[in-house]
Amino acid sequence: MSPGAMMMSFLAMMAGGVPVAIAMCAASLIYAMATKNIPDFVVIHRMYGGVDSFPLLAVPFFIFAGNLMNSAGITNRIYNFALALVGWMKGGLGHVNVVGSMIFAGMSGTAIADAAGLGTIEIKAMKDHGYPTEFAVGVTAASATVGPIIPPSLPFVIYGMMAGVSIGQLFLAGVIPGIIMGATMMLTVAYYAHTRKYQADAKFSWRALGKTFVEAFLAMMTPVLLVGGMTLGVFTPTEGAIAASAWALLLGLAWYRTLSWRMLVKISMDTIETTAMVLFIVAAASIFGWLLTVTRVTEDIAVWVLAFTQNPAMFLLLANLLLLFVGCFLEPVAAITLLVPILIPICQKLGIDLVHFGLVMVLNLMIGLLHPPMGTVLFVLSRVAKLSVERTTIAILPWLVPLLATLLLCTYVPQVVLWLPRLFF
Amino acid sequence: MEPQQQQNPHVGHEVLDAAGFHVTDEPIDLSIYGWEDWVSFLLFWVLAFIVFYQVFTRYFLGDPAGWTEEIARYFLVAVVFIGASMSVRKNNHIQVDVFYRFMPPRLARIMSLAVDVIRICFFGYAAWLNWQLLDRIGSQRMAIVELPMGWVFGAMLFGFILMFFRSLQVGWRHWRQGYSVLERPEIALEGIVK
Repeated sequence: MSPGAMMMSFLAMMAGGVPVAIAMCAASLIYAMATKNIPDFVVIHRMYGGVDSFPLLAVPFFIFAGNLMNSAGITNRIYNFALALVGWMKGGLGHVNVVGSMIFAGMSGTAIADAAGLGTIEIKAMKDHGYPTEFAVGVTAASATVGPIIPPSLPFVIYGMMAGVSIGQLFLAGVIPGIIMGATMMLTVAYYAHTRKYQADAKFSWRALGKTFVEAFLAMMTPVLLVGGMTLGVFTPTEGAIAASAWALLLGLAWYRTLSWRMLVKISMDTIETTAMVLFIVAAASIFGWLLTVTRVTEDIAVWVLAFTQNPAMFLLLANLLLLFVGCFLEPVAAITLLVPILIPICQKLGIDLVHFGLVMVLNLMIGLLHPPMGTVLFVLSRVAKLSVERTTIAILPWLVPLLATLLLCTYVPQVVLWLPRLFF
Repeated sequence: MEPQQQQNPHVGHEVLDAAGFHVTDEPIDLSIYGWEDWVSFLLFWVLAFIVFYQVFTRYFLGDPAGWTEEIARYFLVAVVFIGASMSVRKNNHIQVDVFYRFMPPRLARIMSLAVDVIRICFFGYAAWLNWQLLDRIGSQRMAIVELPMGWVFGAMLFGFILMFFRSLQVGWRHWRQGYSVLERPEIALEGIVK
């Protein structure tokens, strides 16, 4: 059995609906059994080795902190603060939506948490205020993608681990692109507000701003604590994650008192479920990726791509198209674990910075969350807004413009991405 | 039991009057969890305390307890492989179902049956391989802590056995009801919105 056949059997199983992690493991097992190059049980040992890593300890606690922050008590406060901050602009709730997501992105590492938590409040509020549902869904979906770009970020942890890049640098690399995404989306809201004559939704008042700021202040300290701690080298990502969890617990149980014990049990269970799902894929990818590397499949692909183009700009364009396409079918973590062993050797040969490429990769995959057939954010929002998947898809389409513009900028102007991490590292 | 979601009505009321909005959390049902989930729950919290203790010893006592790093990694392995049985039981894996939309129902039925069979076979065989692994190198010692590695591999084995039995249950349910989530993606949405 050739390594190519292993790749094909994986793709066939995945397309046939076998869970991605199992397809990776099963293809590796079939290869091991057919070739007898390695003993079968090495597959299991490799899976163990894939999870047995200190940086990955950050994963459960970033998820935990995000879930804790996503309880209603804290999302309401963030929403109110964003409302006081930008609700006075024309198309107010649209701006509130973007700003709220950006603040929440500093606490949560996934796009789905943002869409399901804050997104629910925002869509309801916007509908109540007479905005068309399509507009509400579009802006909520688009702004949810900023979650894993602004640190902390689960996909960055996985990418950093797989590609051997500093997670702290990746986190910092996300800050400016995240702000640019927010700005382009607010411009889009302003454009809609101008053409459709949307009005402001709240009067500006220093008093309200101050009060809501004080209310939300302690929750908003989380990103400062995290990013600041990691930038100054006080924390490793794992320590930052546990500190953020402890902080979120303290806020929920003692300060805001919005967290009940039953809810804490549910949040723990949700965290375990997501952690296990994400890291099981990482475990599966560590055997599959290892086999792809030792059997030189990745090298063959690199040679083939480099024969086609030696131009980094051209390669980045192709990589973007590939990632956007893959992002339509695969959940981000699965896509990262699958593509890192294949694409990183090419980047190294072409001299593309791996921190830069990491951001481009994650941004592409986040945009993929907005499309059918695997657009999880799309499905969640279509359910929250009670809008059919088809209509939700159409509602989201115009919002791809600001996102793709940001992607283009980040791909071809690496300084935007790399300026901040180079300042500190 | 529900937390107080009502904020102080005086706070920022100018804004709230204009566009204020509150959501409350949905009621929580803890009976949906299987017994093995409580095992993962316990492991997760022990893990959290170990990592917290490590950070604490490093910053406040100046000397991180060496065993914590190693033990924390092993607990993570246990949480992942035992916790993974939760998504097997709920059958909400990450999978590609797009091609099922274009298939005739009979073909879709056969394909999703094949998926169930592959999954069951994989978990069963993986559990058997894991047993072999345990048998061969389970008596090796951990790096820092004087305990056999068999504890870690044993936790993985427990996870694979759980996944095997849960996948049998799910396969049997699909067989009896005559469809799976692959053929009717709409039933999966119940799982996504928690």
